[in-house]
Amino acid sequence: MKRLLGSRALFFTVMAVLAAIYTLPLMWMVMSSFKSNSEIFSSPLSLPTSIDFSTWVDAWVVGNLGRYVFNSFFVTSMSVLAILVFSSLAAYSFSVFDYKGKGVFFAMFALGLLMPIQSYFIAQNSLFELLSIKGHRWTLIVPYAAMGIPLAIYLLKVYLDGVPRQLFDAARIDGASDMKIFRVIVLPLLRPGIATVAVFSILASWNEFLLALLYVTNDKFKTIPTGLLAFSSRYVTDYQLLFSALTIVTLPMIAIYVIFHRQVIAGITDGSLK
Amino acid sequence: MRAHRWFTPYLLVLPAMALFTFAILGPVLATGVFSFYEWDGFGAFTSVGIDNYIRAISDPVFRASFVHVAIYILLTIVLEVGAGLFLAGMVTSRPRGTGFFRVAFFIPVMLPLVVVAVVWGFVYNPDFGLINGVLEAVGLGSLATVWLGDTRTALIAVSVVSGWVFAGFFMAIFYAAINQIPSEISEAARIDGASEIQTFWRVKVPMIRNVIEIAILLAVTGGFQSFDLFFVLTNGGPYGATEIPTTYLVKVVFRNQNVGYGSAMAMIMTATVLAMGAVYVWVRKRAEVDGGTA
Amino acid sequence: MRIAISKRDGARRFGVVASVLVLALALVAGACSSSDGESSTDPDAPVTLRVAMGSPGEAQIEVWEATAASFEASNPNVTVEFNFQDDDLYETIGLPNLLNGGDAPDVYFEWAGQRLQNRYDEGFVADITDAVQNGELGTYFDEGAYNGMVIDGKNVMVPANADVTTVMWYNVDIFNDLGISVPTTWDEMIAASETIKAAGIIPIGIGNKDLWPVGNWTSHILSRAMGEEAYDQMLRQEIPMDSPEVVAAMEYVVELQQTGVVNESVNAIDDNEGAELFFQGKAAMHPIGSWLVSWAIESAPDLNFDYFNLPPLEGAGTQDSVIAVSTGFIVNAESSHQDVAVDFLTLFSSPEFTSLMVDAGGTPLATGALDRDDVDSRILSLMEMMQTAGALVAPPDTGYDIEVADALYAAEAEVLGGVSTPAEALATAQAKIGG
Repeated sequence: MKRLLGSRALFFTVMAVLAAIYTLPLMWMVMSSFKSNSEIFSSPLSLPTSIDFSTWVDAWVVGNLGRYVFNSFFVTSMSVLAILVFSSLAAYSFSVFDYKGKGVFFAMFALGLLMPIQSYFIAQNSLFELLSIKGHRWTLIVPYAAMGIPLAIYLLKVYLDGVPRQLFDAARIDGASDMKIFRVIVLPLLRPGIATVAVFSILASWNEFLLALLYVTNDKFKTIPTGLLAFSSRYVTDYQLLFSALTIVTLPMIAIYVIFHRQVIAGITDGSLK
Repeated sequence: MRAHRWFTPYLLVLPAMALFTFAILGPVLATGVFSFYEWDGFGAFTSVGIDNYIRAISDPVFRASFVHVAIYILLTIVLEVGAGLFLAGMVTSRPRGTGFFRVAFFIPVMLPLVVVAVVWGFVYNPDFGLINGVLEAVGLGSLATVWLGDTRTALIAVSVVSGWVFAGFFMAIFYAAINQIPSEISEAARIDGASEIQTFWRVKVPMIRNVIEIAILLAVTGGFQSFDLFFVLTNGGPYGATEIPTTYLVKVVFRNQNVGYGSAMAMIMTATVLAMGAVYVWVRKRAEVDGGTA
Repeated sequence: MRIAISKRDGARRFGVVASVLVLALALVAGACSSSDGESSTDPDAPVTLRVAMGSPGEAQIEVWEATAASFEASNPNVTVEFNFQDDDLYETIGLPNLLNGGDAPDVYFEWAGQRLQNRYDEGFVADITDAVQNGELGTYFDEGAYNGMVIDGKNVMVPANADVTTVMWYNVDIFNDLGISVPTTWDEMIAASETIKAAGIIPIGIGNKDLWPVGNWTSHILSRAMGEEAYDQMLRQEIPMDSPEVVAAMEYVVELQQTGVVNESVNAIDDNEGAELFFQGKAAMHPIGSWLVSWAIESAPDLNFDYFNLPPLEGAGTQDSVIAVSTGFIVNAESSHQDVAVDFLTLFSSPEFTSLMVDAGGTPLATGALDRDDVDSRILSLMEMMQTAGALVAPPDTGYDIEVADALYAAEAEVLGGVSTPAEALATAQAKIGG
């Protein structure tokens, strides 16, 4: 059998080189976090002379990074919770029941899937200002949940659509109410779909930047993207501090991803393909 | 199935509907309305008809932003979709042992774009950045330049970062799609004496054509809406060479307090995105009618 | 049997939806109450006083915190909360966001001039005439300090610092080593730069990613060349930006570009990084404002630096003009604690804390603030220069409409970068702001 690159060793060497180049920026970031500012400036490619984790601790303390991580956790978990609850109920309604107006409602959500953020963030900003929604710790939950709903409904509905209708009819004959069917049949069936939606929504919400930038300017309530940006501009020339902060924010994310990579990749590719 | 109570299905949809209408649908309509007025966000509304649209169409910065984002999209089709396809081809050329690489290439997808932008801002730093450092080290120091400050390289530099982030994403998508191809087909090709490269191009790629088309659509619509990388790396600079529609929009509305004008631009952008989607659907339908492999 | 089940399940269903709504409400209520906290008219009710500004640097932040501690000690029911934002963000969307959001500040920093007028028009500016005319606050300032801070006859701003917006800071050691004396004319400055460049050092280092550093500097140059009146007319759009006198004035910027005296990375690095070039001795000169002093003392204590004002050049303007702006603090008209806010600002403006501010490198407008033996001589010199200047020029971005200022800054950046000719750049700028 002819192989692509003629030999196993060659293939893996090429791949290893590619992977190394690919992850070089991140490795450089970590390396630099252990070097002093003048070392970073004068010899960018050199290896650090000592591995001193105190720079990482410094960055965490000075930059108040714990605050940003907490805020991101809070906003993301609440948003994803809202998305999952609201969307499963709605997907159940769309998939299982027949009623007047169903098509219209579903079309509205489908439209939402197409709408780019530019089509609403300006007016959304004015609306939030009017209602004093901006500037709180929970501010971002509102738009994030709303933005995640259309895709979630679509994905969950697709899952439910694949379930034979007889299952519901049988449950009905057994005397189950609407909500009982939801609890006992729908939710367990939706579990893989919920996992997919959760992965998607967590990623989208955790990394969101535009709305976070525009709606939350109080440093106390900033999430990781905007918090890190504020930190980086305040300490722009304290390179070591900055690299340390970037490192301690990215390494856990990478670690979590590596541990759960199967689920994560499955979730994202499923969602995109559908 | 019929509900026990007539209002149950409506109640089930209510929370999602309410939130969605409040936070998204309502604002979409409002943006359309705002586009016909002059408003600074807190004062009085002045009706100006289609003046904002006329201004947008003739605004040199807005027009240039479309050009810039178009160049960016073309580059990302190569650097993201193309690279993703290449990587997918590499990792599917062997049945085992590529898991590690797939994980590695996907890492950047997980990171907030802000973090990526700050790190790459340093990578491109003219004095001590990784790129110029490597160039000096291998004796190509003359190529070292201010990547983000030179109008000729800035846009390409940002596109490269985008490629670095998303190539892994498209690789994952193509990988999943290729894996769904029944193995008998690849086996048949191999038995016929095809090399891996031939198998890839002549067999696998055509079979995932749908997915590739979707990928291109994602790259185009997603690229058009870009913001994070551009805002942090260059915010439109140098001299507006990397100004894209969204960064300009944010400046107009949030710095110049020109809500009406910004809304008109937003509507134009929305129409463009929807048009791109419509074109895709139309092209697909044509392909089906022509009896393609859709 | 059926009906009984239905009723119970109906209740169940309501239960689900209701509990979701209650959860949402509880969430909102919980978050709300944690961030607000006071609303009664009881004078001893706990009060949170919110103060917002762009970050003034660590040294000055400490003075603020000391003021807050003292204020809290005398007013036990008050907690002072600071919001030090990234200053570029604050100047653009940061402040408007804060003012329009929840937890809007009770006291916030602004520049006098057009920006103050904007806030006033938006309804965020309280009338503090009473405190100024009759209260302790007014005893800390001379009449002159309120320039640009009075609207419709009302005092609306508590003066903070007088900032000289741009002077040319220079590295004394480099100048001495190369035998360069402080330039007294524009041509001498260019000649000095070329000498420095030949020695392998960046003559003038500046970070212009956000467009205002070079913008302020070159706008000062423009006003010297075309005269203050034409400058003012241009920024008020009484004459178009691409008028012949403006295009001609831009030739000075062309000269800067052609002699290559500014760092190559000028448009890729921001103001902090530009300053860093100066602090590390990589650039011999750095055109920025009076706030550099406190920053440099802290970040580069070994740096031997001084300044000179833009040297005279051939032009219609007053050749010893100074580009400067006053800054101050505004009490938010929408605040429910305006009295507390005024009291706090009064404390901050008192001699005790003003002198701490001077220690930290500030240039307060409070009377007598600088009558000390130990004030950095550069600061005293800057203040004196400001007071004796033949003319004061207002920077475009604080004294005029921001869209006009931005267009001009973009044009200046393009000309300095060698990307456009003055005529092209200014024509584009004028097109941006409306034909």
